[in-house]
Amino acid sequence: MATVYKTLLNDDVVSTRTLLHESIPITGSIVSGTYSDDNIKNYSHGRFQSVYDYPYLSSSANHIFDISLGFAPSSPLSGTTAGHLEVNKKTQMYNQMAQVLVGHDTTGSILPFDEDGDILAGGTKLKECVFFSFSRLLVKDEIKKASVQMIVGTGSYATPFAGTKTLTDYGANNEYRVNSPAGEYGIMYSGSGTGPCGLVYYQAGLMVLTASVFGGGTQFLLSGSTDQGVQEALTGSSIQDFADAVRARIKDIDFNNTVELNSTVYFCRINHNEFNYSSNPTYLSESKIRVKETSIDSPASYVTTVGLYSADNELLATAKLSEPLKKTPENEMILRVRLDY
Amino acid sequence: MAFLDNSGDIILDAVLTDTGRYRLAKGDGSFRIVKFALGDDEIDYSLYNKADSRGSAYYDIEILSTPILESFTDNMSGLKSKLVSLPRNNLLYLPVVKINEINTNNKMHPDGAFFIASDEETESYFNDTVKQGVLLGTSVTLSQNHIRIDQGLDTTEISPINQIDSDLVETQYIVELDNRLGRIFSTNGNPAAVSYIDDDNIASYFFTLNTDNGFVQEIETNPDNLQQDQVIRGPRGTKMMFKIGSSLDLQTSAFLFERLGDTTSIVSDEGSQTFYYIDTTVRVTGATTGVRIDIPVRFIKKN
Repeated sequence: MATVYKTLLNDDVVSTRTLLHESIPITGSIVSGTYSDDNIKNYSHGRFQSVYDYPYLSSSANHIFDISLGFAPSSPLSGTTAGHLEVNKKTQMYNQMAQVLVGHDTTGSILPFDEDGDILAGGTKLKECVFFSFSRLLVKDEIKKASVQMIVGTGSYATPFAGTKTLTDYGANNEYRVNSPAGEYGIMYSGSGTGPCGLVYYQAGLMVLTASVFGGGTQFLLSGSTDQGVQEALTGSSIQDFADAVRARIKDIDFNNTVELNSTVYFCRINHNEFNYSSNPTYLSESKIRVKETSIDSPASYVTTVGLYSADNELLATAKLSEPLKKTPENEMILRVRLDY
Repeated sequence: MAFLDNSGDIILDAVLTDTGRYRLAKGDGSFRIVKFALGDDEIDYSLYNKADSRGSAYYDIEILSTPILESFTDNMSGLKSKLVSLPRNNLLYLPVVKINEINTNNKMHPDGAFFIASDEETESYFNDTVKQGVLLGTSVTLSQNHIRIDQGLDTTEISPINQIDSDLVETQYIVELDNRLGRIFSTNGNPAAVSYIDDDNIASYFFTLNTDNGFVQEIETNPDNLQQDQVIRGPRGTKMMFKIGSSLDLQTSAFLFERLGDTTSIVSDEGSQTFYYIDTTVRVTGATTGVRIDIPVRFIKKN
């Protein structure tokens, strides 16, 4: 009986899960400088600022991350005072981020960001924060633990990189927290031996840094003709102006992303007595097999494609070889066909 | 001591076809891979050169250097020529399928396709003198014209008196036709049941020997005249016969003709007339042996 299909048995199908990582380097010149801020998108609502990898009006541009700012209602900076700008927006941004990333207590109140992730122990809270939310395009399924590094300038607005700090999620491979409703998170440190300066949420693709990490002394930003330090800028500047100042201090951001690749591998086992003939119209000349001289010659065929079929003979997936593969009764082969999801 | 060759296990990355993606998106369990087939669409076996003076190792050197295209994601064009498993290695001849145009009722139109008159007005132009190769798309039962495909060993080196080996007899045929244009009917005018319509509107019909007698029959050979009414010169297998009816869209509207076709002059009972036309193909594939043939078909409608 001639056949063109071979049934896959249970042992011929296996599912695998692979984690793939890509290195994502974001250089400071992209964030501030190269495109004269044509790649920076501001919104009329003024709650965050978006950074693209190319002038955002171009269809080639990709969104890479957003910057925002907020402080907790319990922060001394909270409360409306003369000269304070966008206080409500800043507390709302903080609360939004906190309720998604930290969650609520038993009374339903929003919990503030905790410096070391030990919420039950109390401890220091991050009350004035800068938020970096990275695009899904970069993060993919999650940020790889212990791969995050951010170099920020700590100089004045005129010479921001006169001093720098390197922030990392040092040791996060072995020490990370799982008490967030948004998945796992690690703690950011500014150099070894120093205290925590922020949190990085791996699955959410979000980094929360305490605003004080940017330093700059009394010259964090220039508002009109007035110098402002970080504390003054937190209240005295808009989110947009603060984000501009933060961008000017980003020298480099690096992390590795992670893709969870689920694959099904179909082992197409081709025995010596299978698939040695072809239905290709050129296979025959007046019904005679071209690759044979006499009937005792071995038949031969040349495989270029593997097709995976449903029970009703519908072609569901195809795979191609890089070059024709000769099949004769003298050889057997296993073609491993991988379908990724 | 040399290293062992470990190149026998090959890993290939597969891509989903449009049908595969469609079934996966439906989420109803219809995406289930249960079998595989191998194809050789790119291979031109006429490049196999048994006269190469360098020896048999060079006979297939041209074939082995054939460049391979990336996967097509169209389920209809992804894997047309399938490799066949036959338990024997001593076969020198394999069956083919051919259009049988010996009988007047089976002839193609002189313009090189089977014409389908799409509505009654068009049919009226082909009732008297000009009938060859014109199938009536609406009044399917009124004409004897139909398409016939014969299967067997088309060689003069084996007498047709011999029986074709039972494992080479094609017992099931798949007929594929654009469902927007037409439907398949038996020779006595009964509509065939569509087995499946894919995402490209290609309808598949399955016909089996001894089950669909109006479509598939064994070829009978006249012992007194072995080649009478035959196109297969050697041992014969089965024949597939069918008519094509026009779709309701083609019967009632010229929209598809204007979009997919054009107009042309065709000689009819009333002389040369202008008709709309759409050219397409009907693919007949042997489900067992994988043999296939594409039949040119032209749907016509009076302009």
